[in-house]
Amino acid sequence: MPEASSSPLLRRRLRHGRDRLATALITAGGIGVIAAVMAIGVFLAVEVLPLFWSAGADEPAVDIASLWGPQDYPGLAEPAYRWQPTLPEGDPGPRFNLAPLAWGTLEAAAWSLVIAVPLALGAAAHSALFMSRRLRGYLKPALELMEALPGVVVGFLAGLVLAPWLERHLGLGLTLLWLMPLGVVLGGALWSRLPGTARRRLPMGWAALWLVPWLILLWALAGWLAPLLEAWWFGGDLRGWVTATLGLDYASRNAIIIGMAMGFAVMPTIYALAEDALSGVPGRLAEGALALGATRWQALWRVVLPAAAPGVFSAVMIGAGRAVGETMIVLIASGNTALFNANPLDGLRSMAASIAIELPEAAPGGSHYRLLLLAALLLFLFTFLVNTLAEVVRARLRRRYRRLGDSA
Amino acid sequence: MSIARDVAPRRGACIDFSDEACCLEVSGFGLRYGAEPALRDLTLRVPRHRVTAFIGPSGCGKSTLLRALNRLHDLNEDVHREGEIRLEGQEIHAPEVAVAELRRRVGMVFQAPNPFPMSIYDNVAFGLRLQGGLRKRRIDDIVEWSLRSAALWDEVKDRLQASAWALSGGQQQRLVIARTLAVEPEVLLLDEPASALDPISTLKVEELIRNLASSLTLVLVTHNMQQAARVSDYTAFLQGGELVEYGPTDTLFTHPRLARTENYITGRMA
Amino acid sequence: MRAAWRRAGRARLPRGEGPWAWLAAASISLSLLLLALLLALLATRGLGHFWPGDVTQLTLTDGRAIAGRAVKQAPLPEGGMERLYRTDNRDLDGDIWSWVPVADIEAEDRPRDLVVLERRRWGRFVGRLVAWLPAAGERREGEAAWQGLQARLATLERRREAITRLRDTTLLPLARRLEAGSDPQAARALTEARARIRVLREAMEGGTLVLESAEGRRLRLPAEEVLRARRPNAMGIGAKLAAWGDGVWRFLSEGPRAGNVEGGVWPAIFGTVLMVMLMSLAVTPFGVLAAVYLNEVAHQGRLTRLVRIGVRNLAGVPSIVYGVFGLGVFVYGLGGSIDRWFFEASLPSPTFGTGGLLWASLTLALLTLPVVIVATEEGLARIPERQREGALALGATRLEMLTRVVLPMATPAMLTGMILAVARAAGEVAPLMLVGVAKLAPQVPVDGEFPFLHLERKFMHLGYHLFDTAFHSSDVQAALPVVYATALLLVLVILVLNLTAIFLRHHLRSRHGGLSRC
Repeated sequence: MPEASSSPLLRRRLRHGRDRLATALITAGGIGVIAAVMAIGVFLAVEVLPLFWSAGADEPAVDIASLWGPQDYPGLAEPAYRWQPTLPEGDPGPRFNLAPLAWGTLEAAAWSLVIAVPLALGAAAHSALFMSRRLRGYLKPALELMEALPGVVVGFLAGLVLAPWLERHLGLGLTLLWLMPLGVVLGGALWSRLPGTARRRLPMGWAALWLVPWLILLWALAGWLAPLLEAWWFGGDLRGWVTATLGLDYASRNAIIIGMAMGFAVMPTIYALAEDALSGVPGRLAEGALALGATRWQALWRVVLPAAAPGVFSAVMIGAGRAVGETMIVLIASGNTALFNANPLDGLRSMAASIAIELPEAAPGGSHYRLLLLAALLLFLFTFLVNTLAEVVRARLRRRYRRLGDSA
Repeated sequence: MSIARDVAPRRGACIDFSDEACCLEVSGFGLRYGAEPALRDLTLRVPRHRVTAFIGPSGCGKSTLLRALNRLHDLNEDVHREGEIRLEGQEIHAPEVAVAELRRRVGMVFQAPNPFPMSIYDNVAFGLRLQGGLRKRRIDDIVEWSLRSAALWDEVKDRLQASAWALSGGQQQRLVIARTLAVEPEVLLLDEPASALDPISTLKVEELIRNLASSLTLVLVTHNMQQAARVSDYTAFLQGGELVEYGPTDTLFTHPRLARTENYITGRMA
Repeated sequence: MRAAWRRAGRARLPRGEGPWAWLAAASISLSLLLLALLLALLATRGLGHFWPGDVTQLTLTDGRAIAGRAVKQAPLPEGGMERLYRTDNRDLDGDIWSWVPVADIEAEDRPRDLVVLERRRWGRFVGRLVAWLPAAGERREGEAAWQGLQARLATLERRREAITRLRDTTLLPLARRLEAGSDPQAARALTEARARIRVLREAMEGGTLVLESAEGRRLRLPAEEVLRARRPNAMGIGAKLAAWGDGVWRFLSEGPRAGNVEGGVWPAIFGTVLMVMLMSLAVTPFGVLAAVYLNEVAHQGRLTRLVRIGVRNLAGVPSIVYGVFGLGVFVYGLGGSIDRWFFEASLPSPTFGTGGLLWASLTLALLTLPVVIVATEEGLARIPERQREGALALGATRLEMLTRVVLPMATPAMLTGMILAVARAAGEVAPLMLVGVAKLAPQVPVDGEFPFLHLERKFMHLGYHLFDTAFHSSDVQAALPVVYATALLLVLVILVLNLTAIFLRHHLRSRHGGLSRC
């Protein structure tokens, strides 16, 4: 009989022992995994630090001033910002100045945000408040799929298709830039003049679809107008005019191209997050504004957008983080010239692209290697801070909605 | 016997309105969401400067009808409508009617208070600023008048710049009413305005509704029979998207003509 | 009182939504338009590359003749257009392109007897087959020559396959075994295999084509140099479709040729898939472990919240930073140590101390770890608390509750996380450039030799192949078709993976939606 009574007891002990063991293992494993992921920052910092205090005899000294300020280099008339880590034989030595790289990174990110933010926020506003639910069910995943397009494909199209195209059709590009918005607004005005039946056939909720043919029409119109305008204003050669009159160099792969390509890549990220923030605003707020006689756009602009502003802000921040760290697009479509000027029609070189190109050839432990790791650390810190900020802001927004929900 | 009474006038609005001026006139109105009918062939007249209550079981279409009165259902797709709704004789679905203007004239207060995430003052001034062209001084006056009309002025006059979300539920609901009053609607639609409030706040809101009836036409949707009896002049009973019975509140509650109405009012209906 | 408040002249409320609403709508339309354009471009160029289009023969005003396919057109500076023809025949002309001013074209013709040969060297040939000289027998001309050539090519193809098989299954393993140490038996077998290959090679010799280019230059070409011969202008639609299908299949199943600008991408597909599979093997258990810890075991306090935010943020850290970490820690750190301990014999040439399959998979696993953790955590958080309480109330321990109730319910979430991770990893190229991708590694890292899976080898990757072919090949224009096809393939793979994830997530939602209702 003691057998029978001890066996369940034993089994229970066994079960609980196993449970405790498993819990301990899960805890250890979980903490281990998280620590491994978090180790990235630590690793970078540890590898970078020696750069500042133990420069070898044959390594050039590195300090804050030489990294960020203009330097006197032998062979150059005046102090300059140069990133020339590998030089041909007989040259006085590598030039490590991170300023052009940081500038290139920020310039690329800024141009891509200039393209992506208006597009993404407009799209988010339309799909959160205007678009028909059914259409939104299809289009939102489709736009989010855009996010998954590999950077190397977008970069290849930008570098090998878009760049030569824009170089040949600069006038058309410029015409599209003003004709598209103007034509769309005109289309809207025409729409509100339509008779009721026609308007019901083209409902606003489906505008995202039926505006596509209109845009194609506008494109065709621009194609017809562009040569005329170019001949009229710029003597038939806009590119020549830019070089001659504005005194700007035109590189085929320039910051604008990067901005377009990376804007296209970053736009879905910002769109998805901003759309979530806007459609997360309780519908009662928008309805309240409508019931007071606001148009839907007014309800969006004055009530929904202010309520969702933190979420929209964090969407833009996360987009900025992506744009700063995107490697392949810049690597392929920028020309990788480490320039330090503000001309958007000239090339650039970003930190991420520099790392991708130079790190495999840099000797481990050398100054060049550590400098590239410093660039990686800067990227890491920047994106980590930006994302943390965005995350904190979003958490606050969620709490705010919950409070509104409680008061209801 | 009950069958005979049940098939009695479907268009139950055969009350004598000769001594009442008609504000809203619903005739033959129906609404479908896709294939699913929500309202069927409704005809009734809402008298001016009176409180009219819509009662009925959940899903009977009373809120749908209310939202139809200021065309909030425009926002949904797949909505098909028939029949007419006239506001002061004008068909509200006519193409020349601007929806925004209609919604200003027919204000609406929702079930849960929905103040905007801004100050009390800005909430009330919101509708005025939409229209534009008003001076600061004038807006101040209207804000004060609206808050007074909503019986909220004394409670908030010292903290007009505080966030509206800091108010209690009952205060928020009166703030929403004040906000609606500020744009001078002719009709005020109230969708269960007190269902989310505590008893004291409810009383205040009901009192407010009675007072407003002197200058406004009010339409009230409520679940609460006592509230309908206390507040309204006329009551319409809806069921399954149809108007069952409509008449002066006293008559409807004391001597309902149809058995269905009586069952509902006395709580005998499932 | 009311009258006192009535304002004179109310501003009219607007009728429409105003310009901004339309601009907002147009931004979606524009994005859709651009996306459609991008996909259409990839699809037409990527698939069109395999279509055996007609070859045009041009007679120019100065009497010259040119044969080739038109590629693109561009305006001339002094007005008019010029057209780029791919004329091939690099061995005759020194170039495979020629620009022809449209105004100079006197006549365009599509003669049925133009042949396009794919050759082992010098790229393609476009011209006429004048005669076929078999190793033994009569010189044949005209249609008979074409017949003879086709028959010969079929034989050659079979022999070539036999040689490849012999080399892969017998010769290479033997050679590697000999490298490891001398083994007389292997040496004998090797000699024997070499002899058999030599016999096959010799049997391939013989037979010569006499060719003539459009401008009339003659060329003699041994038949074994020719891989395929086609007469596109004489092919019907059915034959063209078959040739197209054949082209697609070759692209998917063959290795690259001629500096990656011709041939297929099979090693790259294999490398991508293998690397991604290894990555998911590594990332899934660890990701789930961390998520279970964060959501089920850890005390839900401020620290856990901070850690959770940190993990989420790591998903936003640029991939290149992970690449740097992989290079520094895995390749130089771990790999260097492994080399010192186990592969001292082969130092200083590194075995694990250089980029390779293992390190690439681990780096990408680290990169996608946050994705898996976040997705799994979402799935776990979606499981109603009462399910856990129900299990505990029946006397289950925490482990039993986790394994029998919680984890089975979270399986779709884990799958979703894994697929999202795979989709992200399949498109990542930047970190791979640091930790192990190769421009050309025709040997796949799996073979019949111990240990069968060679984790230390470099591998090819679709994304990197695309990058490298587009930007490091000497003639970008010639590389473009392969680049487009590769890009299309990569996009398709990623689309399929993402759609699977979306479908799974939808499935998950509806399943748990049903749960919370009941």
